[in-house]
Parts: sequence; C-alpha cells; structure tokens
Amino acid sequence: MTDLLEVRDLRISFAPPGAAPIVPVDDVSFGVAAGEMVALVGESGCGKSLTGLAILRLLPRGAQLGPKSAIRFAGVDLATLSETTVRPYRGARIAMVFQDPMSSLNPVMRVGAQIVEAIQAHASVPFSTARARAIALLAEVGIADPADRVDAWPHQLSGGMRQRVMLAIALAGEPDVLIADEPTTALDVTVQAQILELLDTLRRTRQMAVLLITHDLGIVAGRADRVLVMYAGRIVESAPASTLFAAPQHPYTRGLFGSIPRLDGPVERLASIAGVVPPPGQWPSGCRFHPRCPLAVAACVATRPPLVADTAAHATACWVTAGSPT
Amino acid sequence: MTHWLVRRTLDAALSTLGGVLLLVVLVQVLPGDPLAAVIRDFPTDPATLTALRERWGTDLPLGTVVARFVGGALRGDLGTSLAAGRPVTTVLAERLGPTLLLGGLTLLVHFTIGLALGLWTALHPRTLRARVIGGLTLVGYALPSFVIGLILVWLFALTWGWFPPAGYSDPLLASDAGLGAVLLDRVRHLALPLTTMVLATIAVPIRHQRAAVDETREAPWVVAARARGVSPARLAVHHIWRPALTPIVTLLGLWLPMLVGGAVFVEAVFAWPGIGTLIAEATAQRDVPMVVGAGALLILTVQVGSLLADLLYRVVDPAQDAA
Amino acid sequence: MTGTLRAGLVLGGGLVLLAIVGPWIAPDPLAQPDLITGTLQSPSATHWFGTDQYSRDVFARLAAGARASLGIAVGAVVVATLLGTLVGLIAGGARGAAAEALRRAIDLLLGLPRLVVLLVLLAAVGPLTPLSLALVLGATGWPAIARLVRGETLRLRETGFVGAARALGASPLRILRRDILPGAMAPALVAATLGIADAILLEAGLSFIGLGIQPPAPTWGGMILEARDHIASAPWLLLAPGLALVVATTAATLIGDALRHRLLPGTR
Repeated sequence: MTDLLEVRDLRISFAPPGAAPIVPVDDVSFGVAAGEMVALVGESGCGKSLTGLAILRLLPRGAQLGPKSAIRFAGVDLATLSETTVRPYRGARIAMVFQDPMSSLNPVMRVGAQIVEAIQAHASVPFSTARARAIALLAEVGIADPADRVDAWPHQLSGGMRQRVMLAIALAGEPDVLIADEPTTALDVTVQAQILELLDTLRRTRQMAVLLITHDLGIVAGRADRVLVMYAGRIVESAPASTLFAAPQHPYTRGLFGSIPRLDGPVERLASIAGVVPPPGQWPSGCRFHPRCPLAVAACVATRPPLVADTAAHATACWVTAGSPT
Repeated sequence: MTHWLVRRTLDAALSTLGGVLLLVVLVQVLPGDPLAAVIRDFPTDPATLTALRERWGTDLPLGTVVARFVGGALRGDLGTSLAAGRPVTTVLAERLGPTLLLGGLTLLVHFTIGLALGLWTALHPRTLRARVIGGLTLVGYALPSFVIGLILVWLFALTWGWFPPAGYSDPLLASDAGLGAVLLDRVRHLALPLTTMVLATIAVPIRHQRAAVDETREAPWVVAARARGVSPARLAVHHIWRPALTPIVTLLGLWLPMLVGGAVFVEAVFAWPGIGTLIAEATAQRDVPMVVGAGALLILTVQVGSLLADLLYRVVDPAQDAA
Repeated sequence: MTGTLRAGLVLGGGLVLLAIVGPWIAPDPLAQPDLITGTLQSPSATHWFGTDQYSRDVFARLAAGARASLGIAVGAVVVATLLGTLVGLIAGGARGAAAEALRRAIDLLLGLPRLVVLLVLLAAVGPLTPLSLALVLGATGWPAIARLVRGETLRLRETGFVGAARALGASPLRILRRDILPGAMAPALVAATLGIADAILLEAGLSFIGLGIQPPAPTWGGMILEARDHIASAPWLLLAPGLALVVATTAATLIGDALRHRLLPGTR
C-alpha cells in the first residue's frame, strides 16, 4: 500500500532573536494511506499539533521547516510551496478539523456561509448550488433540520453540533486526507463518542485518509489502523493499533496505557507517568524520556535511541525494551 | 429586542432628563447673580431690579424654577436667551446645522479612513508607512486641538493662502451664486476645521481598530479559514476585519463626548457658527438659559449617540440577540 | 526604572523646575518694558522665547504659566481623587438602596460631558480665581475615580483576606480603611496621574476660549489665545506654550502608564 501523504524528516524550529533556536518537532517521519486512519498520540506539548499544522503549512509566524523536511502529497512536496501555491491543497485535497469548535467558527458569520465559503474557495459554483450542497453536507454530518440550521449563528449551536459543522466544512472540498486535531477534547464524553463514530463512518464511505491527533489513547482503540506515539518532538513508537495495544514496547507508551482509567477494572491507583513534558528548549540529552522513565540506564542519558523496527510494522526508539517483548 | 429597545430608550431619556435637571439645580444653588448678563455694569435702581427679577422669575424657590423648566422643556420651550432676547430653541436651531456637519463628517472620516488605517497598520505592522501613521497619530493625540487648528491656520491660510482662516461661508459670495460655487465655498471653509477635528481625534479609532485586529488575526477561526483555502482578501475582510468591528462599535458611545469637547475648542479657533461657539459665547456673557439649553442639547446628543451605539452593537454582534 | 517612567519624570520634572525657579531666572512676566520697539521680538539671548505684543518676555510668561497650569491641574486631581475615593469606597462598601442610589448617581454624572458642566458653572458664577478653578475642575473630575474605586472595592470585598478579617471580627469601617483602601487606591492613583493631562488640557482650553484665569495673569491657554492674532509674524508665541502643553500632557501620560505597569500588571 503506497502512502497518500508522506511526511519525511519533519523538523520545526523557532528562532527567537538573540536566543538559541527551539525545535519543538524533530526528525518526524510517517505516512498515511488512502482510507487509513492513523493516530498521532502524545501528551500536550509534545509537538503533535504543530506536526498537523505543518502539513498544511499553517505554522504560526516565526516557525520554520527544516531544510530536509518533506511533505509529499500526490507527487508534490508541500514543504516547497509558497503561501499562494499551497492554497489549492488546503481544504480541497487535505482538510483539517480543530480542537475547539467554539472558537474555530467565525462568530459573526452564519454557519452556512462558512460552508459555502469552503465550497466556493476551490470551485466556481453558483451560490444557490453551493448552499444546497451545504445543506446536504449538514445532513451528512448528522445535523437535524439542516435547511434551518444552515442559517444559524455559531453561538446558537451546541459544542457537538459545532464540531459537526466543522466536519461539514472539512468535507466541503471533497478532501483525500483529513487531519483531525484533538477533535473531541472540548466535548462532553457522550458527544465525543458520537463525533468519533461519525469520523469513522465518513472515512469509510469517502475512502478518506485520516490523521487523528489526540492525547487520549482511549479514543484510538478500535478505530485507528496505526498508532504513532510522540514524545518531546519525536516519534518514540509506531505500530499497527492491534499490535500496540497488545504489546506496547516503549516505556512511555506503557505509561500512557497506565493513564487510561478503566471503567470495568478494579478501582486502583491510576498508574501514570511522573512529571510533565518539559518545554521545548529544555529537552534532555539522549532519550528525551529518560528523566521520567522507570527503566532508564546510562545509555539513555548519553545517546539518542534510533527508531528500530522489530517486525516490519512495529518500530520503537528505546535502548532497553526495543526488540525484547516483555 | 423590542422590549430591550423600549427599556434602553427610556433609560436614555431618564439619563438626559436627570443630567439637565442637575444643571438647572446647579445654577440655582450656586452663588452668582443669574441676571448678571442683563444687568452687567449698568447702575440699576432697586425698583428696576425687582421688576427684572419678576420678569425673569429669578427669585422664585428652587422647586418652582425646576418645575417651570421641566414643564417648558416638555413643550419644547427652553426659556429665553438673556443676551439675544430670543427663544433659546430658536438660537439652538440656527447653530445646530454647522455643528452636525462638522461632527458628522469627523465621525464619517473616523469610520472610513480611521478604520482603514487601523486595519492596514495592524496587517502591516513593521513597515515604514505604518510607523509614519503611528507617529502622526501620536502627535495629533499629544497636541491640543486648538493648537493643531492654529498651526493649520498659520500654514494653510495665512502663509500659503489655500483655505480661508475662519468662518462658515464667504460673506462676499453672490447671493445668486450657483450650487457648485456654494458647495465649493462650503468645502473650502470646512477644510481646515475638519482636518483639525480629524487630526486631533483620529488616533482613537486607529488604535482601537488596530488593537481589535491584532486580536482577531490570531483567532482560531482565522487558522481554520486558512485551512479551508480561503483567499487572503476574503480572510482579511470576513474573518479578521468583520469580527474586529464589534469592539469598535462600543467605542462610538465614547467618541461623542470627545467630539463635544473637540467641537467647543475647534469651533472657537475657526469662528465656526455652531453649538460650540454658541455655548462659549453664552458662557462669557453669563447667559445662563442659553448655556443650559445648549448644554441640554449636547447631553441629549451624547445620550442618543450612546443609544445608537448600543443598538448598532446588537446588529453587529449576532450573539447579542440571544441575550 | 523603565524608560517610560524615566522619560516622564524628566519631562515633568523639567516643567516643575521651570515653574519653581522661573521667578529667579526670568524677568517679571507682567512687565511691559518697551511698548515702542520691544514688541513681537523673535527669540534672542535676552528673550529666550522672544517677546509678545506688549513686549512681555515669553519665557517668563511660560514659567509663570507652568506654575498656574500645573498648580491648577494637580490641585484639581487631588480634589477629584479624594472625593472620588471617598464616594467610591462608600458606594462599594455600602449595601442595599444607598449603594444602588450612589451607583446610579455616579453613572449619571459620568454620562454628562465634563466641559458642559464646567461651562454651566462658569456661566452661573462668572470668572474664577486659580484656586476656585482647581476646585471646580476637581468637582467635575471625581466620578471617573469613584467608579474605579467602587469596582475595586466590590472586587476586594469578595477576596479571601477580607473574608478572613471579617471572620476575625474587624468592624466594617476598619476593613474598608485597612484592608480595602490600600488596594482600591492603586487604580485611583493611575487614573489620577492620567487625569492630570485631562485637567491641564481642560484648563488650557478654557483659557483659550477666554473663560479660564483672566488676563493679564499668564496661562498657557491664554498665551495661545493672545498668539492667534500674530501667528504669521510671531509663531513662537504659539509654539512655546503649545510645546509646553505637549510636554506636560505627555509627561503625565508616560508616568501614568508606567504606574499602571507597576501597580496594575496585566492591564492595558
């Protein structure tokens, strides 16, 4: 299976004037195939959102892509495009859904107008046609009374409905790839499940590739085909979802599993990882996880562990556990 | 919405009435002869004085004076000017046009050029032109309006003679002059006062628009709109500028009191025959009914302006509808 | 010390110095030494800022005007701050109908353009002395301070340390004085400093339209009024007091901004 979207050696750096450059994303490579759902998992501050933004060249001002970084999509390296030449890809080929549906919709524009805008950004469609398609899209993302809701203001909709609108906007350009950046974090638990279900249905019916960015391994289970675990700007483990859930290799991944509260399990102390991700710029040498790692040895402090594959699909960056199933 | 509008209008009416009543009471309780403008330095015998006080009703008790004023005001009668001997409302009506023209045009410039400059400097903050605009507005902000006015008179009227130094129209203009000639004359007389008003006050809309745009341009919905391929022009207008309009509208209510102050001093520089010069002259002549009448008109203007601003705010911000 | 504060203190200090030492280094601002040939002289070594139409020394009048302008403005702001803090504390500390009535009164006064109230006052009582002008400017400036202090008092009333003081049995007046007043004064002080600029401009404006301190007493606004008939031939008559006004208001604004950063971090 060839990858539809392929990210190679992604490096994102900020160079504040008069200070050493900060590199919040370093040496990240992965691919997403058509119809595949890949989850990019990690705690907040590990660089996963920046990775998503970088694909569409939406990085905040001051951020720079590394010279070797490549974002290949349909034979084109998006990393080499300008703000003008990348625009035809945004929304039309690769679409994006964001974490906070509250502020990701323009508060002074009716939701229908924002969908119509997404349709008309890439195709010269008469307004009436675009509006009819907006209503059809609202119906597709499961909004009741779409013909009425199309004229609603964002503040008149609930959080879940707004996220459905964001999905409708993302679908408006008929994209091949959908990047969903923490799409359910701001929502209630019941609504979370509905939105994830919808996301899963949409990618199956439309054969869309989905990159699901999340801090929550729990929502990945049973949905994603492959999981990339990211820590402090680097990918530390990458595996098919079933493999990863059955036998996580990296101590960080295991720590993340310990962080998922189980409804059906015995009520025990919630095992979690001590400490927090240090801010970029204060990342330690060697394996960046070593100060928080219960298994760290001298090599972890000295040298960075490479991401090595023990089987064709399962790769881990750890001196201690890689290759030794425990 | 209707309910809100009724309540808000009532509120504005009460505030206006309360404010004007405060002025009337103030005049009554303060020391000072309310007939100073009539008597001036003329020697007056006691009989004449009594007659005068009776005629103007100045020795009546406070309650009666206030009741009379309110009764008259509700019938559209604000009393008689001591200096001009004519009804206050008649004089006000003559002077209202020029002030509305000057103030209205100033507001118009604020809402067009001011907002455009604010948007432009926010979107291009590091350019030379943005710095020049920033510097100019700072100078306008620091210089008192009447100093700006006099500098403009010195340069553009007295030194280069491009515009008349003062006045509302050319007294020598033929009475049968065509519409074009009259308009040109009016524009020439407006040029310096309007420029002065604008220079003295435009820093406020520019700064506020710039601050508002600085906020909206970093908003999540702007990133979201870019992610769906929206063009830069659409982005600037619909996603950055339009949401930044909401905080600007609330400013309208604050601008009007500022324009009142500006009008008094700028009209004084250019002998502009508006409410500002009227109230200053009447104060100098101690023509209390005239000053109170003009003050009432200015208070009403400020209250109506603040009401309109609130109304506009609800139009501009859809979320206000729900409240 | 930040650059803003330093710049403000240098500018403001310069003007205060000018006001204080003026009488010793400049001639009598009212003297008309030479009405035949000494009028409207351009700046020179003897007359640093030239002379006016009555041959009076402009530098001397500028220094005397600084005394009048700064004295009146500072006096006005002191009055406004005292009155505003008192009313604001009461409005914020009281409860029930009295507090509501005070709030409404403050809002009503804030809705009145200050200049209109001043002009009505002046029409009723006629021209004022510097002292009464300061009092009148203060009497029209306090509602803005009162609203700030009221809001801050309401906020502080709900904080933990005031609750603790109340629990310890401190009387309401003691709480207002010891626990709330110091905190509520911070925004009042910032507003007062910025208010000096407003007071200076208002006083100058009133003098410019002939309604402030009456001639021949020198004020910056009065000097600008007298300069208007000679702008083309003697522009220094306009520029000297105009520049003094800019320096004074800029100094007050800079010091106020610096105070705001120091006392109220996180506000703009």
